[in-house]
Amino acid sequence: MSQQPQPSGLDGLTELEALAMDHALGGGSRAERKAAELRLLSDPEFRAAVERWQVMLAPLDDVTPGIAPPPSVWAGIAGEIEPPPRRAAPQPAVSGGWWNSVGLWRGLAFAGPVLAAVAVAVLVQPDAVAPGVPATVAGGPALVATLADADGRPLIAAAYDPASGQVRFAPVAAGDQSTAGKVPELWVIEGKNPPRSLGVIDIAAGRSQAIPRDRLAGLKAGAILAISIEPTGGSPTGAPTGQVIATGKLSAA
Amino acid sequence: MSRPNQPVTAGATELAALLVRVADGDAAAFQAFYDRTSAKLFGVILRILIERQESEDVLQEVYLIVWRKAATFDASKASPITWAATIARNRAIDRLRARPPRAHVPMESAFDSVDDGPAQDAGLIHDQDARRIAVALAALEPRHAAAIRACYFDGVTYDELAAREQVPVGTLKSWVRRGLIRLRDQLEGSQA
Repeated sequence: MSQQPQPSGLDGLTELEALAMDHALGGGSRAERKAAELRLLSDPEFRAAVERWQVMLAPLDDVTPGIAPPPSVWAGIAGEIEPPPRRAAPQPAVSGGWWNSVGLWRGLAFAGPVLAAVAVAVLVQPDAVAPGVPATVAGGPALVATLADADGRPLIAAAYDPASGQVRFAPVAAGDQSTAGKVPELWVIEGKNPPRSLGVIDIAAGRSQAIPRDRLAGLKAGAILAISIEPTGGSPTGAPTGQVIATGKLSAA
Repeated sequence: MSRPNQPVTAGATELAALLVRVADGDAAAFQAFYDRTSAKLFGVILRILIERQESEDVLQEVYLIVWRKAATFDASKASPITWAATIARNRAIDRLRARPPRAHVPMESAFDSVDDGPAQDAGLIHDQDARRIAVALAALEPRHAAAIRACYFDGVTYDELAAREQVPVGTLKSWVRRGLIRLRDQLEGSQA
């Protein structure tokens, strides 16, 4: 049925444009919306098309009457965003190098106690880069990414150090994804290429870890890191098969 | 890259300035942003979800997303309220899709909502963009406009609409897409 020629008026409508309309309007099924959300992360052309339709449709909202929410909603929000002042107090005395830079941890502040534990774990981790050494010593700039779930909630911080050729991970929120017989697998999406596996990782609370250097050659800012849940041992197909639990874009540290 | 000219209103400028401070972790600015925008976003969410408690939960989620993603707001692409309302619509629709199938309130035909369509809406419209799109929507073939409204305002899926209208999903999609293209063409025409 979907093979029918497009009815008149739709000649020349590209698949990208049609899916962008669908996503902006919101009529797709749950699965279609998830697929579109993933594509938004890796396809700037698609993202731009969706945004154009969203902006076009937005004035429709004017006819929807505003309704004041009860005060309890703000109270709930305020409770989540006001981080306990503990984060400001114990500033590490050591100049922590790029992985401890403001850029890496900023915006994760509200992760609260878990983050504090992670920051400590990262600080005591011996590393090839001496504290204070500029990020750009060898092989290009250091890269960081915060991997967030579909709601933008940060789950994992990743940092790539070209000097040592390693990626380190630090969970910033306790995951509830620990399913028996399943493991998280890390992927990198570069441009429009299909996701490339960087291997199975362990994101159990409080651990940092490294990925072999040879898998990381050519990693650049702008690439997307994604984590999917795969059967033990990793994806059997070489492509993500399970739920994508977190994604984030690499940017200069 | 044709982008509707969104006149930069004083309100939009102020909201954008607030978002810049929110991106810096300024909780007071965030509260000011919430105070000015939450009624609108709650209206959008409630219209889709209807259920009040669930709508409040989603509203809270939406503002936590705003708090985290304020730095990604790009004033060259959308006004602050459009950006925030888009997050709200998306979250509300995702929540609706996540409901168990039978929990959907059996809606009367979405096409009934045509009745409270353009004419009645027009009285509530103050913004020029809003008036233009209402006029353009009213000029569409009625079933195209009705399908667009049902998706946009009520979060109804193409599948549900097709079942209600007893047409193949492909037909319904082509109604919507043709309608949207016409809408765009008319809006672009009315700007020239």
